[in-house]
Amino acid sequence: MSRPVLATSEEGARPARLDRDRGLVEAARRDPSRFDALYRKYLAQVYSYSYYELRDHHAAEDATERVFMQALAGLPRFEERVDAFIASRPVTAASGSASDMADISTFRVWLFRIARNVVANERRTDRRRPVSPLEDAIGLHAPDDVAETVAAREAGSAAWQAVARLPEDRRRAVILRFVDEMSTAEIAAVLGRSEGAVRVLLHRALRSVAEDLRRQLS
Amino acid sequence: MPGSATRNARRTERYLDGLVAADERRAAEIPVDTDMDPAIRVAARQLRAGLVRVHPSFRFEEALAARLAAAADRMKAGLPAELPPAAVAGGTLAAFRGTGAAADLGVVVGAAAGESAATPSIGLSHSAATVVRGLTDVAARPRRPLIVGGVGVASAAISLGAVYVAWRHSHPTSGRMSRAVRAAHGRASHSGRRGSGVINEILGVVS
Repeated sequence: MSRPVLATSEEGARPARLDRDRGLVEAARRDPSRFDALYRKYLAQVYSYSYYELRDHHAAEDATERVFMQALAGLPRFEERVDAFIASRPVTAASGSASDMADISTFRVWLFRIARNVVANERRTDRRRPVSPLEDAIGLHAPDDVAETVAAREAGSAAWQAVARLPEDRRRAVILRFVDEMSTAEIAAVLGRSEGAVRVLLHRALRSVAEDLRRQLS
Repeated sequence: MPGSATRNARRTERYLDGLVAADERRAAEIPVDTDMDPAIRVAARQLRAGLVRVHPSFRFEEALAARLAAAADRMKAGLPAELPPAAVAGGTLAAFRGTGAAADLGVVVGAAAGESAATPSIGLSHSAATVVRGLTDVAARPRRPLIVGGVGVASAAISLGAVYVAWRHSHPTSGRMSRAVRAAHGRASHSGRRGSGVINEILGVVS
């Protein structure tokens, strides 16, 4: 849970919130072997993001490894970025994003910025990306219930096909929102956009997916 | 006053927040804004159900954890987190004591050769130099690190073997057994002289 603190700025003291991963991050900075806790916490999220973006298990594993290695090596430089991120995001009643701020992890945002860059590099260099329906991912729903598994598989396949046809920025926002369960504020920070722009991006993405699903049904 | 696009985007965001919150408390009902497009609600539910989080294999997780732990140990020792290319390539770094002027220059052969340009002072990368410094050397003289790779060792052994066989062929021993073998070989060579000549040609022996 994040703790409200006072951060000073040019306009004077104002409430800001500390990273909810601050304890783990500080422990890892003191002793790099404590990075394991952060790694275990965010492994599935980073891997999922890489997997949905690259659509290949091996490429996703390579990207995940690179992300965590870069994060570990760059951890001593992390604090400045946290300060910059918090300073740029004051919590005010009028902003309407206080609930978002309560859930923000600046470490997670930083980690996903690394992931975004690594995946972008991978996509630029890797020409072999096979387009798969991610069936194994969808099969995780209910392995014991065949009917439910089949239904989930079909729904997941249709959803993924619709998402895969989205433009890159909308697809990325959808993955961060639905797979990694990020708030609008976090997605905005990862993608380097305003919250308003991300809201519109997600709304348009959902409208495109709805039209695509309607076409698939008909 | 926000436009309709902004209002719709805010409605969608509230619905998505409600969807996540309902999942967290395992609630079936989700508060719905009646002005919201039902098709978007259906699409959101379908994406929520279809786009699941994927976990990598246990083997990959543990292997990467081990690599990160090793990198953390290197960082604690003041070394870079990433392994040097020589270590990744599987070469072995050994220190040789130099004897002449050439020994004053660091020479890196094989996999780490690309690193040498980074540190022109001694021709060694920082990591390789640190490893070399760690080795004990009573003479404490300038060292010449050498990367010994498997392919180089194998090819050198084969060459030495061929030279030894050729030398043995051209320098027969004078023992009783070898004289008997030569006598037998001489008898056989009357009929198979060509074959023996071919062997000598292959070995490069000039009689």
